[in-house]
Amino acid sequence: MFRLNLKIALRNLWKNKAYTLINMGGLAIGLASCMVLLMYVAYEWSFDKQFKNNHKTYVVYNLANASGRIFSWAWTPGDMAPDVEQSIPGVAYASHSSYPEDRLISYGQRNFKKSGVFADPSFLKILDYKFVKGNPDKVLKGVNTIILTETMARNLFGDEDPINKTVKLDNAEVLKVEAIIEDIPKNNSIRFDYLMPWALNVKVNPWMKTNGYEGNFCLTLIQLQDNNYFERANAQIKGIYKQHKKDSNSEAIMHPLSKWHLYSNFENGKSVGGRIDQIKIFFILAFCILLIACVNFMNLSTARSEKRGKEVGVRKTIGSSRKSLIGQFLLESLLLALMGMLVAFVLLEISLPYFDELLDVNLSINYSDWRFWSALTGLTLITGFIAGSYPAFYLSSFEPVKVLKGATIVGNSSLSVRRVLVVFQFVFATCLIICTTVIYQQLSYIKNKPIGYQRAGLIEMPIQGNFKAPEKLNTLKDLLIKSGAVSSVTSFSRGLNEDGNNTFSVEWPGKNLKDETLFNFRFAGLDFVKTIGTDMISGREFLSSSDSSNAIINESAAKIMGLKNPVGTMINSQGTPLNIIGVMRDFVIESPYYRARPMIVYHHMREVNVIIARLNPAMNVSNAIGKIDEIIKTLNPEYPVGRKFVNDGFEQKFQNEKLLRTLSNWFGGFAVFISCLGLLGLALFMAEQRKKEISIRKVLGASTTNILTLLNRDFIRLVVIANLIAFPLAYIIVNKWLSAYEYRINISILPFVIAAVLSLLIAILTVSVQSVKVAKSNPIDALKYE
Amino acid sequence: MIRIEKLEKIYKTEEIETTALNDINLHVKEGEFVSIMGPSGCGKSTLLNVMGLLDKPEKGSYHFMDTELLGLNDRERANFRKRNMGFVFQNFNLIDELTVFENIELPLIYNKIATSERKRLVNEIIERMNIVNRSGHFPQQLSGGQQQRVAVARALVTKPKLVLADEPTGNLDSSHGNEVMELLCELNEAGTTIVMVTHSSHDASFSNRIINLKDGHVISEKMNKGRNEELI
Repeated sequence: MFRLNLKIALRNLWKNKAYTLINMGGLAIGLASCMVLLMYVAYEWSFDKQFKNNHKTYVVYNLANASGRIFSWAWTPGDMAPDVEQSIPGVAYASHSSYPEDRLISYGQRNFKKSGVFADPSFLKILDYKFVKGNPDKVLKGVNTIILTETMARNLFGDEDPINKTVKLDNAEVLKVEAIIEDIPKNNSIRFDYLMPWALNVKVNPWMKTNGYEGNFCLTLIQLQDNNYFERANAQIKGIYKQHKKDSNSEAIMHPLSKWHLYSNFENGKSVGGRIDQIKIFFILAFCILLIACVNFMNLSTARSEKRGKEVGVRKTIGSSRKSLIGQFLLESLLLALMGMLVAFVLLEISLPYFDELLDVNLSINYSDWRFWSALTGLTLITGFIAGSYPAFYLSSFEPVKVLKGATIVGNSSLSVRRVLVVFQFVFATCLIICTTVIYQQLSYIKNKPIGYQRAGLIEMPIQGNFKAPEKLNTLKDLLIKSGAVSSVTSFSRGLNEDGNNTFSVEWPGKNLKDETLFNFRFAGLDFVKTIGTDMISGREFLSSSDSSNAIINESAAKIMGLKNPVGTMINSQGTPLNIIGVMRDFVIESPYYRARPMIVYHHMREVNVIIARLNPAMNVSNAIGKIDEIIKTLNPEYPVGRKFVNDGFEQKFQNEKLLRTLSNWFGGFAVFISCLGLLGLALFMAEQRKKEISIRKVLGASTTNILTLLNRDFIRLVVIANLIAFPLAYIIVNKWLSAYEYRINISILPFVIAAVLSLLIAILTVSVQSVKVAKSNPIDALKYE
Repeated sequence: MIRIEKLEKIYKTEEIETTALNDINLHVKEGEFVSIMGPSGCGKSTLLNVMGLLDKPEKGSYHFMDTELLGLNDRERANFRKRNMGFVFQNFNLIDELTVFENIELPLIYNKIATSERKRLVNEIIERMNIVNRSGHFPQQLSGGQQQRVAVARALVTKPKLVLADEPTGNLDSSHGNEVMELLCELNEAGTTIVMVTHSSHDASFSNRIINLKDGHVISEKMNKGRNEELI
């Protein structure tokens, strides 16, 4: 029975190659899209889960209450980890570590600027990295030691054995290599190239030792003995700040490590999602695309029911039960799903490297993973079942007497189900077109929105090695300008795109005592305003080193302080009295989607960390870059140049939105394409079915245009209905998406017009491919044979 | 073998009710060859469908070998049908995707006959029907007469007690038509009960008894003693 059914199924598929191709192609693209998206979701989901005890590991968040708002960071004081380990029951380990930061590592002539982390031994107890060489129990206990990742070790030492050899950190500290660990996978929140003892951090920064609960400069990780302790531990850690510092406005909470990556947004001290929102969208998208492909199959199968009806009739007459017929049709759709899956597999292997690059992830098929195979099998079965269910139940319900007598079996009900399905497909496709357009609009709006300075032609380099000496920095500045490569040079305490460095402790005349506004603070060199291309609203910028007790504030700060004449006002920031000499236009440092935060800029040359230079527009860029690199190399030969374009860093801020745009673009395109395949198949069928009617109409004098209108009218009506449903739906979706941004576009009519025109155009073109052929055919051909 | 009493079948559309069969009483003995004749729309096909359990009447009773069949549900009807009845249609109704052999084999599969036995039965009937060299062909590759032979073979392969034929020669020329009729006669002589719907009095002359239907009523019954002799 099974063999015979299989035979019928195969012969049927072979006989109707066009339908088979359309169905299989649709299913293949649907399955491939679904799998890529699911793999991406799985990848994001897998973050930080490769550690054995990830489920009982927590990141400590600092919730700082300021003017009624709660700010949340995973930055905590250095003393917290030892305190937690000692005083809170149920804690197996607590570790403090620095966040990854780029530093210079050298061995002989080889210099690399790579990212390193300082951590104490419990860090390795909590996160069980795979050791290639060395003993995990004996490392990080000294001061001048280092653990390298495999790639880092290979870069530094080539084929030599690195153990017990020494490397140099920032050209100062000599560190002995004590272990090698495997490279940190991309799906890890904490990624570094080498690991050093916390003691070394304290040695380089002695203030850390006595800082207590004043500053938040570490990442604190806690591992519990088991999760039964969580409620109590979390309750106890809450007041840890106030225990050690009476006037603290902070509370601490434990956030699961496994949720750190996807649930990183906090609002008023509560976790409110984060990346997970996007992941959810992709997850839904994955199944919607698959569903669209299934709908194609349902549509075409039921549309062809007239042809299959006779077979159903004969089988029933001979004695087939309905169950066995349902089985047969399901077998057919499973077969098709299987074929689609094979093609999808090929598509997947071809496209994965491309998506890896596009999304900057590392997706690959793990053939030895049983989860992969079960997901694959599950997906194929589900697809086959969903796609085949409606046709199977519908076709098997035919009454033999009617179909064998040639009565019309395509009743109105199946026709309207098909219509509903087509409408569903186009609702989805239209929604995607609208959303994609809005994402585009929002991105280009934000990108073209003035950010307060001229980011084009600006470059940044770290102040490192010799440049830490002010005279060398001045020499560099002179040489750069003299070379003609740059037109002006300044320095800043952080990169223009970097956030961080903020404080609540700013006092100004007339400040409300309860006001706790968070101010960014920065240090800038001379010519800052001129170099970055912004301007002063009032006052002046720093002119000489005598400005060290003066400050510049930005517009937002001036507004918050409510000063009528800010210039000349004395304020106090972090205990330092400052005289405001100027108000600068707001410019974007953090997110381009939000209003700039109030900022205070000081002038202290020993606090600056970044050189910012404006390229001379008179010289071509590659020449200028060459000259700059050459000058830096001669003045600071031991360090890599580390030059970056500010614009590139700025682009990084759009990563999430770009990802969303890319994915919705691609998969929206696929959804539209699959829907078109379905439409094409349906048109193919309708044209065939109405051949005789069309021929009679032609004989009676209908023109090609009449016929085309006749054939297209039905489809156009469906697409119009789909549009009408999609519009409010899409409006709700994009409105919700946009509401997360402070700076956002107003939803205009344009995306809706685009979607309507596009969907109609696509539908008409698709249907016309088929209907033109029919409309132009010779009517006698269809009428001759009865 | 068949005892039909007071059978009534009504077709309902949105507005009109049509009585297709009205108070039909009919007995068929085992081994009989009965023809049902009558003008178009007289209800003869409906009667055949009711006898073949393809259609349900509103009233009356239908006994087949002392079993009342009208109360059966769909699955029981299908089961009864596949064990006891074979069908031959005017337009053959072979499955295009299956070969001659597979078409004939299909009812045996539904009757859950073992593979080797199936092979034997199909080969036997193919030989008997004289279509051995066609067994690997698909229906489209055969002439109408050959297709109808396959259809007859398919109806007979399960050795049914009753064969129902709906205008078996309707789509055939006269020589092919005669071949099929002779085939049915041979079967009948071998003991199979046959009920046939036909337009053609030539075809009807092959049967033992002719029933005339008009507007859903039996209007006459004629015995046919000796196949080609004058009717009584």
